Amino acid sequence: MSSSSDWEVVIGLEVHVQLHTRAKVFASSSWGFGQEPNEQVDPVVLGLPGTLPVVNREAVEKSILFGLVVGAEIPAHCSWDRKNYFYPDNPKNYQLTQKDFPVVIGGSVEIELPGPSRNVMGEHKHVRIHHAHLEEDVGKLSHAGSGSLVDYNRAGVPLLEIVTEPDLRSSAEAEAFLRSLVAMLTQAGVADCDMEKGQLRCDCNVSIRHPGAPLGTRTETKNLNSISSVRDTVIFETARQVRELEAGRTITQETRGWNADLGRGYVLRDKEDAHDYRYFPDPDIPTLELSRATVERLAKQVPENLYDRQRRYMDTLGLPFTAASVLVANRELAEWFELSVAAHPANPQGIANLVANDLLRDLSAAVGSTTGFDEAAPAPVSLSSCPIKPAQLAGLVKLTDEGVISKQQAKEVFAEMFKSGQDAAAIVDAKGLRQNSDTGELEKIVQEVIADPAVAKSIAEYRAGNEKAINALKGPIMKRTQGKANPGLIDQLLRKALG
Amino acid sequence: MAEGFDIDHLAKLSRLSLTPEEKALYSSQLNSIIGHFQALAQADLPTSIDDARVVRESALRSDVPGPSLGAEAVTRIAPASRDGQISVPRVVDDEA
Repeated sequence: MSSSSDWEVVIGLEVHVQLHTRAKVFASSSWGFGQEPNEQVDPVVLGLPGTLPVVNREAVEKSILFGLVVGAEIPAHCSWDRKNYFYPDNPKNYQLTQKDFPVVIGGSVEIELPGPSRNVMGEHKHVRIHHAHLEEDVGKLSHAGSGSLVDYNRAGVPLLEIVTEPDLRSSAEAEAFLRSLVAMLTQAGVADCDMEKGQLRCDCNVSIRHPGAPLGTRTETKNLNSISSVRDTVIFETARQVRELEAGRTITQETRGWNADLGRGYVLRDKEDAHDYRYFPDPDIPTLELSRATVERLAKQVPENLYDRQRRYMDTLGLPFTAASVLVANRELAEWFELSVAAHPANPQGIANLVANDLLRDLSAAVGSTTGFDEAAPAPVSLSSCPIKPAQLAGLVKLTDEGVISKQQAKEVFAEMFKSGQDAAAIVDAKGLRQNSDTGELEKIVQEVIADPAVAKSIAEYRAGNEKAINALKGPIMKRTQGKANPGLIDQLLRKALG
Repeated sequence: MAEGFDIDHLAKLSRLSLTPEEKALYSSQLNSIIGHFQALAQADLPTSIDDARVVRESALRSDVPGPSLGAEAVTRIAPASRDGQISVPRVVDDEA
């Protein structure tokens, strides 16, 4: 009997993302989370006689923008088809989708796997995108007693379905892909990807095979609404398929659901063959030409790739992986950091430390915790209400670099800046924190202190070779200067005085 | 019966229950319709995208929200409703 290690899992994902628009994709009705049921429905959404769907330009442009972010081909034309099925979540008995001519073809998403430890970067790989098509979301069903209730607020919301090639080989890769995809979608302003609002849902195709063998029969687990559900589904489904095949049974191609509470999958209705949906071109929506002028205009909106930025921070600015990865995860934070570096280019690491640790901590505390599609991610912070300006932070780091205040004092000044929004220099002066770097004055104090018989023992120990004994002399000097002496300078002067 | 469709399967997908007489009638009518399309398929047509059916981006809708019907109007045209939602027989994919 073969062991589980002989098996290779092959995963493909279909990610459904609600696009960041105000109106629906073929209708003008607004949409958004938290409205009363059926308050965001118009005759086009319901497909009432005499209505005509017209495509929302913004939804098309957001789709193209996504394609450009992942380096896809934007074809010259795209068109819409009717996918026919009877189910009450669908008011028209068909869903408008793109079957043969999608808006985005190909492309790839770079992912980063977890490293051997938190501060070591993991392996990178590219996951190919097969295509992405722009369709309408369907209504929401809730089940109550013997009946089901239908809310069509979600029907007609622009939904981009992003289909990967079967390139993922582990639950960790699936997780990494979704993290990377969410970052790219949100950083480009394509989508908000808020799981609590159901803005990102995922279907997960899993099969197993022996490495090098043809692809095995796959199952599709539908409607996963968090990264942990995708991860758990892959783990569960892999184990189940290994068990089935090793017991001499076969895998049935089937559609499955996931029960997150019980942590297990279950079989849904039989997967219908594609022709059962009786797709045909939608006669109401003409084929759309995607102009090169639009593609070129949108290409200018593509932000720097997450990992290109990370490489730049590490290679050019010399940041450690931990700080670089924290900064690039939030485009606004990264851009804020870059403005600060521009104001004080001499010490990007010093600025990165304060931004990635102190600033992020204080901003997060102001936001509180939220749960996104990625439960492991910190709450997204916004820099718009940040009391400190990038140049002000640069000013603080500059004062530290010049030895005007110590690193310890910089933390104190930072806290005050975050409270009051004042410049670092003003706070340093108001609090009288300027370090004394007047060599003449300090030399005099050093001579007075070492002449005091109370410290004679420490001096003897130091001269006898006990390095640490010198520290006992620093306290009295700090005391005489009210803590303002430059610690580095004291150390230097003491060593000189003691020979 | 023409190749390419199975009247029982089509009836099931369409949620129709048909008598044997209806099945015979609709099979014959569908055969005639499909035959017509097969005749069209023989025609010498351009294989590229038909320019007459292509629109440019100027024909698209702006992303400006318009009015909604309101839950009261939506539920009024449904056979049954409850709490502003349309009520239908239980349809579930729950774990059995």
